[in-house]
Amino acid sequence: MNRPTFGYAVAALAAAASFAVPLMLDRSQLTIFILLGTAVIVTTGLSLLMGYAGQVSLGQGSFYAVGAYTAGLMAVHGLPTLLGLAAAPVLAAALAALVGVPLLRLRGHYLAFATLAVQLILLSLVGQFEFTGGDIGLRGIPQLGVGDATLIDPLAYAYVTLAAAALVLLVTRNLIKSRPGRGLRALASTEVAAESAGVPVGRYKLAVFSLSAAYAGLAGGIYAFYLGYISPGSFPVLLSVQFVVMAVVGGLGTVWGPVVGATLITLLVQALNSLGTMPGMPAYAPDVLSYAVYALLLILVLLFMPRGLLPSIGSRLEDRRAISPTRS
Amino acid sequence: MSALLQYVISGLALGCTFALVGSGFVVIHRVTRVVNFAQGAFPVIAGLATASLLTRGLPHGAAELVAILLGGVIGLVVGVVAIGKPGTPPLASLVITLGLAIFAYAVEIIVWGDQPVSFPGLSGTVNVAGARIQQQYFLVIVVALVTFALLELFFGRTYLGKGLAACASNPYSARLVGISVTRMGLVAFALGGVLGGLAGVLVTPLQAVSFDSDVTLAINGFAAAIFGGLMRPMMALVGGLVLGVAEALVAGYYESAFQTEVALAIMLTLMVWQASRRSALEEA
Amino acid sequence: MLEVDDLVVRYGAATALDGVSLRIEQREMVALVGPNGAGKSTLLNTLSGILRPAAGRMRVEGRLAQVPEGRQLFPDLTVEDNLRLGAWRSGDRDPGRVYRLFPGLMRLRRHHAGTLSGGEQQMVAVGRALMSDPDILAVDELSLGLAPLVVADLVRHLRMLNEERGMAILLVEQNARLAFDICGRAYIIEAGRVVASGSCAELANSPEVQRAYLGGSTDEYEEYDESEESEETTR
Ligand SMILES: Nc1ncnc2c1ncn2[C@@H]1O[C@H](COP(=O)(O)OP(=O)(O)OP(=O)(O)O)[C@@H](O)[C@H]1O
Ligand SMILES: [Mg+2]
Repeated sequence: MNRPTFGYAVAALAAAASFAVPLMLDRSQLTIFILLGTAVIVTTGLSLLMGYAGQVSLGQGSFYAVGAYTAGLMAVHGLPTLLGLAAAPVLAAALAALVGVPLLRLRGHYLAFATLAVQLILLSLVGQFEFTGGDIGLRGIPQLGVGDATLIDPLAYAYVTLAAAALVLLVTRNLIKSRPGRGLRALASTEVAAESAGVPVGRYKLAVFSLSAAYAGLAGGIYAFYLGYISPGSFPVLLSVQFVVMAVVGGLGTVWGPVVGATLITLLVQALNSLGTMPGMPAYAPDVLSYAVYALLLILVLLFMPRGLLPSIGSRLEDRRAISPTRS
Repeated sequence: MSALLQYVISGLALGCTFALVGSGFVVIHRVTRVVNFAQGAFPVIAGLATASLLTRGLPHGAAELVAILLGGVIGLVVGVVAIGKPGTPPLASLVITLGLAIFAYAVEIIVWGDQPVSFPGLSGTVNVAGARIQQQYFLVIVVALVTFALLELFFGRTYLGKGLAACASNPYSARLVGISVTRMGLVAFALGGVLGGLAGVLVTPLQAVSFDSDVTLAINGFAAAIFGGLMRPMMALVGGLVLGVAEALVAGYYESAFQTEVALAIMLTLMVWQASRRSALEEA
Repeated sequence: MLEVDDLVVRYGAATALDGVSLRIEQREMVALVGPNGAGKSTLLNTLSGILRPAAGRMRVEGRLAQVPEGRQLFPDLTVEDNLRLGAWRSGDRDPGRVYRLFPGLMRLRRHHAGTLSGGEQQMVAVGRALMSDPDILAVDELSLGLAPLVVADLVRHLRMLNEERGMAILLVEQNARLAFDICGRAYIIEAGRVVASGSCAELANSPEVQRAYLGGSTDEYEEYDESEESEETTR
């Protein structure tokens, strides 16, 4: 089997599986499925940013929050929920474009701190303002729907999430294959080289940053409608770290890496959660276990599989195929 | 008037601890070009460790010393993981230190629990122009100033200090004359751990620390370090003092919830200003 | 003094040295000549232990110190600190012996190395290498970006080190005429291989060498252009 057909087969299989899976899940499992879907969406954007623009953002959680609050506030004030969902990525991207102009002039290490700072400032502002519900948060966000028809079934949300994730993956795939995508790859190797090859480095970086924020905003919108309740506490710094872990573990700058990374981490954290809440475990066990797993995965992958899990395993398979005689 | 004096002195003391954390960032960044996201873990661990050592009956002084040395050892471990493997790019090292910061959470919660911990420092107060000021504030300021003087002597006068400066200045030539840049990087990480540990030992009597205090400590320290472009320890002291006083005044006269936001805003402004100045220089 | 056999050095997949062999005897001055990208600096960095060879053998008797291409000083440290750091491996950190050799540096010892002129910087670079009391001195592009008078002065010092202290010298030069003038023997290296070697007099008479390395104007080494100059001041 050659590479493109192999890829399509995997994609088709994954698509079929993800359409079938929600039907087999109970309510709490569906919640995990939806959170996983939103994590895939955010991580896809972050992976693009880290892999192609060589920038680490520790503030993806802030764009997630902006999306959630945009959708939540609009819906609470009686605007159509679909409009809120559509506005979530737009506003997140707009914020990214706004802060990106000054921040993207910073080199990698500084940007990580700057995005972290943006998130902390945003959270504290949201906690202060009256109209966002302050520290208590925003309650009673209506269900997603058109006119009188509303989605109350978690299964329906699972499919909304799935559709959004599919859309995001499709956009990302087309972007990577497009002409600007190739320019971005030049950006990833070295900025100076890209600049001298006529790639408008600054504009590309800003575009990727905004796109990654849009993804996060979209995911945040879905999250707000599904849970119906958001507060500053829903978007801790650790959430942003978690997205970095997912992106790094899956492999940067690939289409499927974020899917693998997000799935692996989400399932692992769930498993550890059930382990940590078993009788006899200390009260802090779930937290400690998930911290340790985030940390160890992040460190081990960076040290021993710097390209991420998926590309590393992929190239190992490739090597094996290369030496097998069936390949002509 | 006496309130103002109180705010200024407490701000200076707090600023000194930011400066110590920040100088750790500077020392590590200068030598290795890595921004150490685990820098906030050193003061937390040192503070928590001092508290437990004191309850185990170790006298003041000894407990603090052990905790500071522990900070150094942990700094060394962070360094080994972050830069010990040859060929680790700086951006990977940065994310690794982030991982280590999270890993520290797990360890700290297991060892010390997740509740804030404090221990008594110097208990007396001093009367300064009508303001009653805790002696601990003065202790913090004096110890920090002495530390910075020693740091300056170390980099300016000792051969090892010059070796570290050489790695910062030109790593290729440093290797050429036989300096092991990796080993110097580990020395820098250990020193960063000691400086962070010292900050933790000094600050814990003033504000209780818990495992997640590291974000505030690291953000303030980084903001202080940014004053000198992450390259000059002395500017971190200036930065720390400015930040500390600004935050104390904001907290005293306006709203204590905005304390950290002041640091964040100053940090962002400085970073962007420095970046635009740098690119203006490059374009010229 | 120095024996290199079949040395192979790679940067990732690219082979920079492809089986280089070379000898330097005691008290010898040997030139290494070749076009840009031939692998001269790679060889020196391998001898200095900065690059690890993929294959081959090398044996250095005594200590080797390198004066790197483009000086590579510690620009924000003082001249004196630059010199003292040269003794990191060996014991004696007193830079007095370098000041006796280059009295001009004495006056500059508190200046930051980055503020010095090109010629002064090259003196510091040579001095820093001498601080380790080397038995072999490897000099990469001695004349790069320097005025002929300055080069002549540096050459005089190298000759003196060789004659009076018996230091073996490996001189890398793009300017073959200058190199052949100073040294007894030379190796010519192209694309990572030694393509010719022998006494400088012989090589200078070979038609190929003349065409490739000695052609053009006779005072070629005076014509360094701006771009090269600015390139080596930014590190
Ligand atoms: N750090 C590096 N990474 C990858 N390739 C390198 C590196 N340094 C040198 N090279 C390559 O190795 C080859 C030899 O380079 P080297 O610098 O040794 O040449 P040179 O003879 O010193 O040239 P010059 O006269 O320009 O100084 C060149 O093709 C160069 O592009
Ligand atoms: Mg060279």
